[in-house]
Amino acid sequence: MAGLSFENYQRNQFLSSRTNGTPKATSTGTTIVGVKFNGGVVIAADTRSTQGPIVANKNCAKLHRMAPRIWCAGAGTAADTEEVTKLVGSNLELHSLYAGRAPRVVSALQMLKQHLFKYQGHVGAYLIVAGVDPTGAHLFSIHAHGSTDVGFYQSLGSGSLAAMAVLEANWKPELTKEEAMTLAADAIEAGIWNDLGSGSNVDLCVMEVGKDAAYLRNHRTPNVREPKQQSYKFARGTTGILSQRVLDVCQVEEQVVDVEA
Amino acid sequence: MASTIASEYSNEVKNVPIEHQFNPYSDNGGTILGIAGEDFAVLAGDTRHTTDYSINSRYEPKVFDCGDNILMSANGFAADGVALVKRFRNSLKWYHFDHNDKKLSLQSAARSIQHLLYGKRFFPYYVHTMIAGLDEEGKGAIYSFDPVGSYEREQCSAGGAAAPLIMPFLDNQVNFKNQYQPDSQGTKRRDKKYLNIDEVIKLVRDAFTSATERHIHVGDGLEILIVTKEGVRTEYYDLKKD
Amino acid sequence: MSDPSSINGGICVAMTGKDCVAIACDLRLGSQSLGVSNKFEKIFPFGHVFLGLTGLATDVLTLSEVFRYKTNLYKLREDRYIEPQTFTQLVSSTLYEKRFGPYFTGPIVAGINSKTGKPYIAGFDLIGCIDEAKDFVVSGTASEQLFGMCESLYEPNQESEDLFETISQALLNSADRDALSGWGAVVYIIKKNEVIKRYLKTRQD
Repeated sequence: MAGLSFENYQRNQFLSSRTNGTPKATSTGTTIVGVKFNGGVVIAADTRSTQGPIVANKNCAKLHRMAPRIWCAGAGTAADTEEVTKLVGSNLELHSLYAGRAPRVVSALQMLKQHLFKYQGHVGAYLIVAGVDPTGAHLFSIHAHGSTDVGFYQSLGSGSLAAMAVLEANWKPELTKEEAMTLAADAIEAGIWNDLGSGSNVDLCVMEVGKDAAYLRNHRTPNVREPKQQSYKFARGTTGILSQRVLDVCQVEEQVVDVEA
Repeated sequence: MASTIASEYSNEVKNVPIEHQFNPYSDNGGTILGIAGEDFAVLAGDTRHTTDYSINSRYEPKVFDCGDNILMSANGFAADGVALVKRFRNSLKWYHFDHNDKKLSLQSAARSIQHLLYGKRFFPYYVHTMIAGLDEEGKGAIYSFDPVGSYEREQCSAGGAAAPLIMPFLDNQVNFKNQYQPDSQGTKRRDKKYLNIDEVIKLVRDAFTSATERHIHVGDGLEILIVTKEGVRTEYYDLKKD
Repeated sequence: MSDPSSINGGICVAMTGKDCVAIACDLRLGSQSLGVSNKFEKIFPFGHVFLGLTGLATDVLTLSEVFRYKTNLYKLREDRYIEPQTFTQLVSSTLYEKRFGPYFTGPIVAGINSKTGKPYIAGFDLIGCIDEAKDFVVSGTASEQLFGMCESLYEPNQESEDLFETISQALLNSADRDALSGWGAVVYIIKKNEVIKRYLKTRQD
């Protein structure tokens, strides 16, 4: 049972040789960034997920918790970022329980890159890992093939160029927490407005040394839809019905029984 | 080896030779929509111009007043769209010159455009074309064309990137498809009726705000051109810019 | 046009309302443009949770049986029916297990949590990425049409009878603009203590 199953692989190979094209998995499109500041690190993401040119989810969460103070922003194949982050997150907790120490960001980084390298880029996860641990605040990025980078500021995803333009223009050493939050959110907004793969809201996660991580879901919401011009409620009975049936629903009744009696 | 799941980020090793070829076409997104009323017609389009994941312009109009109360838009590959409208305007100018400024009827305009399109049957204009105006009885009319000139007069039509999102909505709200009279137990269709200008503009705005929500190539602005016997009027509304 | 997930055709959609959810599907099963069956239901109940499956028909049937098996075992072990949220995680992990040889389906889940009484819907891609929406989820060969219809017709907090009209009209008009969908339709209206199943009058072309 453990691990991934390849039992449909041959069948699908045959199917794709007979048909043209294969279905697309949900991609996060995405702009994600991370910025270090004095005494911590902040990561941010937009909230649009796409299937081709169609928006699959207008408010999805791309910031994943791997440990209470280690968070990860994901771009690429949505299912892969979710699963790889969950898997490594679990192993990180087991490891910290075994070691009796708080989990470290470098451990998360090493586990992620070794997993991704093993799959030779087929697990399509592009991640920005950040967090605080007993050795301080850290910020890394990982590509699907397993390569990693270190830096004071990072951006990834289809909107990474828009975001990096803002980061390169406005980043300076010794940022305060508030400055870093603004910079990260501004970089994501650049992606939201100028990259079609990114959109909707800004999610933020601030990790400060010695403090609990603050997850700020929908920190900025610059894309609220205006009210519609009219209601499209139909008069009851508008749809033609051929037949109807009331289904049996199971009803569970609970009763407290006095065992003594 | 064909990949099992196509994802934009995975670059799988292919064992076929790499071939390079010039592609004369690209897709500039956007969407257009036309509705005909009893004594008016509207042609609306968003003003976003894109390639791939980039926005080239947030205001690039693509619905044009060609004169003679004819509105025209060619959506798809923008360069072809502009070229086609330009060619039609030119042929209209020559028509006036040759025929003592006679007004070109909408049905003649439609037939003329068919020839412009079919003339490039084996290197087509990569566009979905629509024209709007009034017919010879003064009733609103929409004509829509495929890339090689096959056309049809319709009550309403949508073209471009978000056409699949808008078209069923129009069927339902303009032609009342799948709607029955509430007390008829699904036996009597809801009566057809012409919508007035205000109702049509509301529908158009809602169709475009909805398409903007779910299609990445639609947004920024909405330009609606309205043609009545008094002439052509333009309205503009902002759309979301993300 | 002829990738595995659009050989057989078919659509599914789910919506939330005030203390209720609705899930609906068409009845067509085809082989490319040839219609084969007009009795192919794509919604499967597991206790009070409803699963809609579109895509490759063989995988729709296989998965419906996989989940029947898994939810039966769950019931035996827990002595209660599975909740929508739990079931969503089950679907996700079942699909991701086959990451490199996936089932070609687009599942959607709808139900009301029996503990909290809150409506819940979720959609997935073919490898199990969860799309937790609070308004509506769609899937199938007319998903673009459904997105357009739902985005313009939907409004939150509708009563169950109004929600029925909205979801039915969204489904019907989407199906009519897709060559691979239609041929009948089913709608489930799910309230805390009542489930109504309705067959709709549809075009037959």
